[in-house]
Amino acid sequence: MISRVADHCFWFGRYIDRAESSARLMQATASLVFDVDMPVTHCWQPLVIVSGEEAPFVARHGREALGHGDLVQEYMTWSKESQVSLATSVRAARECARAVRDQLSLELWEEINELYLWLGRESTETLYHENREEFYRNVRRSTQLILGLVRSTMLHGEPMRFLWMGVMLERAGQTARILDMHHHTMMRESAHDIVRMALWMSLLRACSGAEGFMKKHQGRVTAQSMVEFVLFESTFPRSIRYCLKAASDQLGRIWTEPTHTSRRRLSSLLAWLESQQKEGVELGQIHPLLTYVVDESAAICSRLSEEIQGPTQVSPPLPPTPPPEGEGANRPSQSQTQVQSA
Amino acid sequence: MWSVLQAVPNTRNGVFTSYQPLAGTYDEMVHADGSPRPHTKRIHAVLHSTPPREFAKYQSLAELSLFNQGVTFSVYSDQQGTEKIFPICLVPRVIGATEWAKLERGLVQRIRALNLFLDDMYGEQKILKAGIMPADLVLGAKQYEKTLKGMKAPGGVRIPIAGIDLIRSPDGTFCVLEDNVRTPSGVSYVVENRLVTKRIFRENIEMSSVRSVEQYPLELAHTLRAVAPQGETDVNMVVLTPGIYNSAYFEHSFLARHMGIDLVEPSDLFVDDDTVFVRTTHGPRRVHVIYRRIDDAYLDPQFFRPDSMLGVPGLMRAYAKGRVTLANAPGNGCADDKAVYPFVPDMIRYYLGEEPSLAQVDTYVCARDDDRKYVVENLDKLVVKAVDEAGGYGMLMGPQSTAAQREEFKRRVLAEPRKYIAQHRIELSSCPTWDPARERLSPRRVDLRPFILTSPEGSWVLPGGLTRVALVEGSYVVNSSQGGGSKDTWVEREAVT
Repeated sequence: MISRVADHCFWFGRYIDRAESSARLMQATASLVFDVDMPVTHCWQPLVIVSGEEAPFVARHGREALGHGDLVQEYMTWSKESQVSLATSVRAARECARAVRDQLSLELWEEINELYLWLGRESTETLYHENREEFYRNVRRSTQLILGLVRSTMLHGEPMRFLWMGVMLERAGQTARILDMHHHTMMRESAHDIVRMALWMSLLRACSGAEGFMKKHQGRVTAQSMVEFVLFESTFPRSIRYCLKAASDQLGRIWTEPTHTSRRRLSSLLAWLESQQKEGVELGQIHPLLTYVVDESAAICSRLSEEIQGPTQVSPPLPPTPPPEGEGANRPSQSQTQVQSA
Repeated sequence: MWSVLQAVPNTRNGVFTSYQPLAGTYDEMVHADGSPRPHTKRIHAVLHSTPPREFAKYQSLAELSLFNQGVTFSVYSDQQGTEKIFPICLVPRVIGATEWAKLERGLVQRIRALNLFLDDMYGEQKILKAGIMPADLVLGAKQYEKTLKGMKAPGGVRIPIAGIDLIRSPDGTFCVLEDNVRTPSGVSYVVENRLVTKRIFRENIEMSSVRSVEQYPLELAHTLRAVAPQGETDVNMVVLTPGIYNSAYFEHSFLARHMGIDLVEPSDLFVDDDTVFVRTTHGPRRVHVIYRRIDDAYLDPQFFRPDSMLGVPGLMRAYAKGRVTLANAPGNGCADDKAVYPFVPDMIRYYLGEEPSLAQVDTYVCARDDDRKYVVENLDKLVVKAVDEAGGYGMLMGPQSTAAQREEFKRRVLAEPRKYIAQHRIELSSCPTWDPARERLSPRRVDLRPFILTSPEGSWVLPGGLTRVALVEGSYVVNSSQGGGSKDTWVEREAVT
């Protein structure tokens, strides 16, 4: 398929899953505030930090505002400047969809277009102010419907594979960041069991895993089992391992020969994660583990963007380029938005 | 008084209540006495019994559905990238079968002549040598590309896709107002409008009595394949768009989607060894036919505009070598130039040895001394148009103009006579159109843009075409950028008597 179109499909998937994830995270955090007796700042601040938006948010609203739930939600939902706000994600997703409208089904296009138009309506703003829960619920339902339409109405060919890979890689990153955020809060809070329990439940809710976790563990809730569930559970569609595996499967079907660096690195990352599962993780190792996953995923994504362009030479065909030594070893940044090539 | 009328909805009368055709104007649906024409009887009867409230409901449903489907165009002047729907009026414009057959013949004849004219202009220029047209008028046009002289169109046809703008004069005759042989747009609205009216009228009208329009994309794909460079099998075709911010982007994507071919931007293409390729995730793939919706100037920076970053470097070299077909051919602008338009009937006589079967509007060419003198002295009676402007811009509507505007145009015409033509204002025909303020139908002026597809095998005309309507009372300007809307155009399948 056309390289630019593949790139847009990939990013459409990322933006949609990001919008869905932030709506759920916002709901889970609002609910956490009622569940635990801890400073409100400690509930909302991590949400801004894991999104990578601390600096612009503080520049705009001041450090005090990090504890102000309404301001944080306002910013993370509506901000036009923010690269990761809900409104930005939906707008960007719709723009990608418009650019590849010929690849999407009519149902799929109508749904993303209607979500975009709905977000811009005055009545929606009123709903946001009067019934926050319902507002986020609407966003979640619409984005979930879109994800369902992808699987049920698009041809299961390359465009859908790129799209779904975007969904899965974005989700792996989101799960990693949400886990990291709860882990930080946990470290800082007192070791009170009730608080801990509330935090872990909030984590599971934020990645839609509460019911799934209970099914697996029949009510036996420990920090270790929860962390392992979110990291490794092969049947949980938001665990990091599941997402990487799904992305890796899609990529393996697009490029059947292992000539592409992004494909090889994704397989390696998955293998590495599986080896960590075998060895077992200590709670204290979570942060470096998650950092590695996020950074490596970001590096794979940017490599993928390059490789999507395909070899541009026509004759004679070039041999595949060997990966440079130690590539990506020092790459702390994560790419949050699509880079426009033109 | 007014509020009393508002409070008591008039349900006994339909939307035609006190409909009055404009004096001195041909009405597309009714005779001067208000009775329907033979081919509009059925739709007239349906509308006649439709209460205004109900009609208003249908109208807003139709608009909402276009919005949700993203059937929109972008507004150029708006930096925010605002999208608008092209407003639709649900009252269709109906054309009788016999009349359409005649129109069709005239359109095909005209396109044949224009194709031959372009071959001639970029070839031997026999028509100029024969003294039928003033040479400097054609060769001096901004749109005549000297550098293309001697190049043949790889697929053999320079105008695979044409849109001819027609208007109907008060005596009921269709006249050509303008030719569009570069990148005519609007056909997607023809297909989308039909989908909307079909849904709304499905219970009242047998749509089988109306000729279908939905096959256009298939006919277009067939035409594009037929104009591929000779000797090529397994032809790869693409639609080339400037991108999502272009005002006609919806249409570009619509056509690609319905033909099932790839929609590409210039940066997706590159040229190697005078052959065009598209970048794919599995490496380069050869391209044989490009339905380009990009102006000549932005096709190839190496050829047209060294300062431009846009376009596909080397594309014109590939074209000159006959390795890729561009539809439509570059350089076509010299055939639909408004200053060349007055000579089209002569072209038809010269190339085909036939009399033109379509009428056209008498035109004063300001480059000619006598014409210019008349124009300058009669600005208040004339419509003056700049030859290289489109979309209803750069125009003086004499009868509605101020003295200052006329003075300004006089100055412009005298400064650059080649740039201007003038015509008497035609009382464009009108069609009953939903008037939201009065909540009933009022006569509004319309034009018609039929689309003609041409391959070496011959031409095919889309039955109907785009009817544009000036939604503003008293207006003659139908352009979407200036308050125009559109209507579904129905061509009757068989003549009724």
